[in-house]
Amino acid sequence: MRGRARGGRLRSAALVLSLASAIALAHGLWIPAKAHLAQRLIARAWERSTPGTSPPKPWPWADTGPVARLWLAPEVAPLYVLAGASGEAMAFGPAHVSSSARPGEADNVVIAGHRDTHFAGLRALERGDRLKLEAADGTARDYAVVGTRVVHESRTDLLERTGDAELTLITCFPFDAVVPGGPERYVVHARAVASPGVAPVSASAGDSEEAPRR
Amino acid sequence: MRAVRPHPVLLLFLSLLLTPLVAPAAAPGLGPVRDPGEMGAGGFLIRADSGLREAPLLETDVAIEVAGLIARTRVTQRFTNPTRDWVEGIYVFPLPEGAAVDTLTMRIGERVIAGRVEERARAKQTYEKAKSEGRKASLVEQERPNVFTTSIANLGPDETLEITIAYQEDAQYDRGRFSLRFPLVVGPRFIPGTPVAGGFDGTGWGTNTNEVPDAARITPPVAKPGDGRVHPVTLRAEIDAGFPLDSVSSPSHPLRVRAQRGDVYAIRLDDPDAQADRDFVLEWVPAVGRAPSAALFRESVEGDEYALLMVLPPQVETKATRVSRETIIVIDTSGSMSGESIVQARRAVREALSTLRPEDAFNVIEFDSTFQMLFPASRPATPEAVAGATRWVDSLDADGGTNMFPALVAALQPGGESRAVRQVVFVTDGAVGNEDALFGAIERHLGRSRLYTVGIGSAPNGHFMSKAAEYGRGTFTYIGNPAEVVPRMAALFEKIDSPVLHDLRVDWGDATVESWPSRIPDVYAGEPVVVAARLPKEAGRVVVSGRRGGEDVRLELDVAGGADHEGVSRLWARRKVAGLMDSLREGRSVDDVSAEVAALGVRHQLVTRWSSLVAVDVTPTAPVDVETKTRNVPSLLPAGWDFSKLFGGSRGPAAGAAAAVPMADRADAPGAGVAIGQRIASARIGSLPRGGTPATLLITLGASGLGVGGTLIAVAGRRRRDGASR
Repeated sequence: MRGRARGGRLRSAALVLSLASAIALAHGLWIPAKAHLAQRLIARAWERSTPGTSPPKPWPWADTGPVARLWLAPEVAPLYVLAGASGEAMAFGPAHVSSSARPGEADNVVIAGHRDTHFAGLRALERGDRLKLEAADGTARDYAVVGTRVVHESRTDLLERTGDAELTLITCFPFDAVVPGGPERYVVHARAVASPGVAPVSASAGDSEEAPRR
Repeated sequence: MRAVRPHPVLLLFLSLLLTPLVAPAAAPGLGPVRDPGEMGAGGFLIRADSGLREAPLLETDVAIEVAGLIARTRVTQRFTNPTRDWVEGIYVFPLPEGAAVDTLTMRIGERVIAGRVEERARAKQTYEKAKSEGRKASLVEQERPNVFTTSIANLGPDETLEITIAYQEDAQYDRGRFSLRFPLVVGPRFIPGTPVAGGFDGTGWGTNTNEVPDAARITPPVAKPGDGRVHPVTLRAEIDAGFPLDSVSSPSHPLRVRAQRGDVYAIRLDDPDAQADRDFVLEWVPAVGRAPSAALFRESVEGDEYALLMVLPPQVETKATRVSRETIIVIDTSGSMSGESIVQARRAVREALSTLRPEDAFNVIEFDSTFQMLFPASRPATPEAVAGATRWVDSLDADGGTNMFPALVAALQPGGESRAVRQVVFVTDGAVGNEDALFGAIERHLGRSRLYTVGIGSAPNGHFMSKAAEYGRGTFTYIGNPAEVVPRMAALFEKIDSPVLHDLRVDWGDATVESWPSRIPDVYAGEPVVVAARLPKEAGRVVVSGRRGGEDVRLELDVAGGADHEGVSRLWARRKVAGLMDSLREGRSVDDVSAEVAALGVRHQLVTRWSSLVAVDVTPTAPVDVETKTRNVPSLLPAGWDFSKLFGGSRGPAAGAAAAVPMADRADAPGAGVAIGQRIASARIGSLPRGGTPATLLITLGASGLGVGGTLIAVAGRRRRDGASR
């Protein structure tokens, strides 16, 4: 009898633990899945839109919409940048910091994203790498990475306008941190370069030759 | 008893499961996932040009605001402790020689603690006490008028602490151009003398000597090239000169200048990856005809009225007749001049030689650890002699120590020449630690010579340059890059050729006025007279008088008006401190002067040699029984300096040498906590958007929890079956 009671208590504790863990695991797996899925839905919304108008909502209850497309390298699929760098928007895609210059403007455009989903690729960027940003109205601009660095989160001056056509990408640092919310940010600083033609980069070989390969 | 046996197992699993949550909570913020293969003595990783390196230990942020002729600069140093230990950080850093440091704030997370000025020994005591009690504390001390140290106590693993200091200075004005210099690096200095016992009392590479008793405090370890340490600096400036500007520029760094409303200009460095390896110089030129010929700023503090007066004496025509002169050119060929500096120095000397005429006499002296004179005595500047001297100078290489004293004395000895004008042009970076001894030598040996210092290189010792020229009754010139050599040397010789304004006096018409400097240095063409004074409320007129070219010069100014400007009182106090420090060399006792300087420092909240800023956190955060390690934050070598020439091979006092530094002394008895810091703000000042999700955390927790849960269910199931079968 005693063994039975003991086993029962252990079993219920183990069940509760397993259930809680399963929920945590599901939530944990859902975050990247959501991030990926949302980008697909947003891509569809973008393609349905007509140039010059703002794209339709990617899903009916969405409180944000895409404002630009961002290529972290010429040969990869673009990221769809959402309006307003709120936690909600950033779950679905990199988000444009609304106080900074609007995409397409010849000023400092700031985009923030999660280090472990959309902006995981920032860690691979190096000085000289080409980036491309296409605004919803069709204006595109090519950028070259001029530097990367780690700063404290208080460096809000990086969000200010500078009067030059620049692109600032921000994500959390360190990249492999398990617990989110650290005070450090990884910043990629890029400056506009003469654009060799405005058409968005497709995966065709002709365009990718312009960007230096690593 | 047996009934509870499974619980420890469960608890063990649970605690293992929770470990990743608990550990980072103790060191908030960073999830230290590290690759031990990549790490040296600790430190998180960042990407640098050549792969992954240790992260910066320090980030510096400089914001300069110019209003009128006065600049207020805020310097923010962000220290990150990448190690697993509680550490004390010590950072030696330079500021402009006239900087009046008056504010210290320490920011820990979202709390901001204001520091205050105390007499130096007391401030040190306050700091040491806080350190032993496990409180966070910071201390800003002055080592030289242009070299300061920040100490920070009890910085925990992975913690970041932010120190902001602020200071005032007045902009330099010369030949129609205003300029400010922000020194970003303390160049390694030559430390002469005999080592004294127990001389490594600071954490620098220098040992104290009889001539430089504080060498260990002013010689920070130097990061070896390729060490991969980065010391990023961001710099912003705003100029509101009060008149339209013709240009804003920097000979040291590429700038981005943006005109804002009115005549206000916003300035940023063009290079986002700027490193602290050369001084930043900012210059602005008033639009033609808009330069002020006199300016007056004033401030009332506690019933006292303070004024800062700048007067530009009217220009005179340069006399066509040039008197023959004797010129001694001294060139520093020590190791600190290696690299780009010696090239600039040789060019500067060539320029100086090219101004000589056959009726002049000249000599050239070269010094490093020893000195060498080209000729035994000055000889006429015939074309052949000058050509020979040029060839000799071109052959000089930079190597060895900076043993300036004997060379300086030799240059000032008159020899057999009896020409009316005797000038010594001294080309150096001033990388010396025995400034006071040198100033004394200049004062004693000057005679009828005039000493002109020419500062070379990316980080010249500005305190030495300006003060040596003041004692030498000459003027100083900075040459920051090769392109400046020709125009700056030409400007120097134009000044030398123009009549100088000497025996200057400023009469405020009231004996109660205390005006500093008490003895006004000679003023060369294009330079202003600048004095600070404490006045009675109703001061009316001031008379500036002097002699120039055998004639009296007299300027009378109305001082009833003037613009109100905060910080004028501190500029006055800063000048008074400089005057008191000079009086030490005139034989006043250290006891008298230190008491007076410390009192002035405390009254005006100014960091001086005998008063320091200290800030202490209210709550202890460090475990008191854990050892604190003292670490030095390495300085970068000034740009163009050659590491091997300075320290030889790889045996140098590299950053790694800091590891050999003794443990901090924790012997002080912990006593009742006295919190002198006060919490002045807790609001978040704003931050960059976050960019991380808890996905990894949740997946890790979930997967391991499921594993544990499944195992336990299996165990429980077997127990149950076992129980049933019994």
